[in-house]
Amino acid sequence: MGMPARKNPATLQVMRYDARRGTLKVIVGDPANVPREILAQRAAEAMRAHSFICHTTDDDDDALFGADEICFIPRSDHCEIISIHTNGWRHHHGDHRRSLVEILNDLAAAVARGTLSFVDDGELAEVTADGDEIFACAVDDPASLTQARAAVVQVLDRLDVEPDARRRLELCVSEATTNMLVHGGGQGTMRLLLVGDRLRAIVADRGPGLNFLNWTEEAGGVNQPSMGYGYKIILDNLERVYLHTGDEGTTLVLDRTI
Amino acid sequence: MLHTRVETGEIPVIYLEGEIDLDSVETFRWVVSDAMRGAAEAVIDFSGVTFIDSSGTGLLVRFCLDYKAQGVQLKLSNIPPVVDDVFSMLKVRALVGDEAFLDR
Repeated sequence: MGMPARKNPATLQVMRYDARRGTLKVIVGDPANVPREILAQRAAEAMRAHSFICHTTDDDDDALFGADEICFIPRSDHCEIISIHTNGWRHHHGDHRRSLVEILNDLAAAVARGTLSFVDDGELAEVTADGDEIFACAVDDPASLTQARAAVVQVLDRLDVEPDARRRLELCVSEATTNMLVHGGGQGTMRLLLVGDRLRAIVADRGPGLNFLNWTEEAGGVNQPSMGYGYKIILDNLERVYLHTGDEGTTLVLDRTI
Repeated sequence: MLHTRVETGEIPVIYLEGEIDLDSVETFRWVVSDAMRGAAEAVIDFSGVTFIDSSGTGLLVRFCLDYKAQGVQLKLSNIPPVVDDVFSMLKVRALVGDEAFLDR
């Protein structure tokens, strides 16, 4: 008899409402029990109002469909719908850790300002097809983080990138590769590409995906108290971030003009 | 790579030099925990730190808050710009209190 399946203490769902077609597409998470027609209606309303609408547990429960928070984020021709279900578990242990709902707010705000895009398989393939590769390496243990950072600095030095941009790119790539080691199965790859005047870093793993379950555990004996901090740094310092996540792994694409 | 040195005394001073990331965060944890044993106050000197990420910053915040709750003062000094920049991004001063910083 196998081990009983563990219930995720928290899950992320991302859906996209296409205003022209009137359709709803699942980008991240399990769409079970989601009242799609009502969600599509709410998304259309948010688009008509040109308003970022967020329902939290302080609101009427009927607006949440069981989620702890649900955000409707209108864009030019579609509306992103991001929600988090925490099943009653809302905070990390330790007062200083940021709550999952706060992390969702950071993600939603980044989508609203156009920094973050959740992408599906096809969109990821399009994004990652662009550019000329200038560096690639495997990142399979914490010691290789230094090498990954050194490679980024070397490439940016060669391209004569100004120090502030260089430092921020080095930090963001380090955060992305650290996330991969801690939450993404402990290994993956990092590639650097030139796409026009932008440097693009692609950090990919074959881990369990961004399901929040692995964000709440001690990783490999490393008591990592920085949940959500890494994403905050990435989203605050880059112009564009694409995030693809699912059962077969997570890919982060990080862009900054250099 | 993170190098550490502790100046013992009534108020131990922990000197850090190098990079604080996932690879060195356990060294950081060990040296601070060891130096703080039995102390009512200690200082971390960051002047030699050339890189810190969210792993190191998260652990530092945790140390500051945990020791504060125990009535022990952990002070932070000589924060170089590369570290201060990350602390600003993550609002460390607001999280641990301005009084934890010796160079206010």
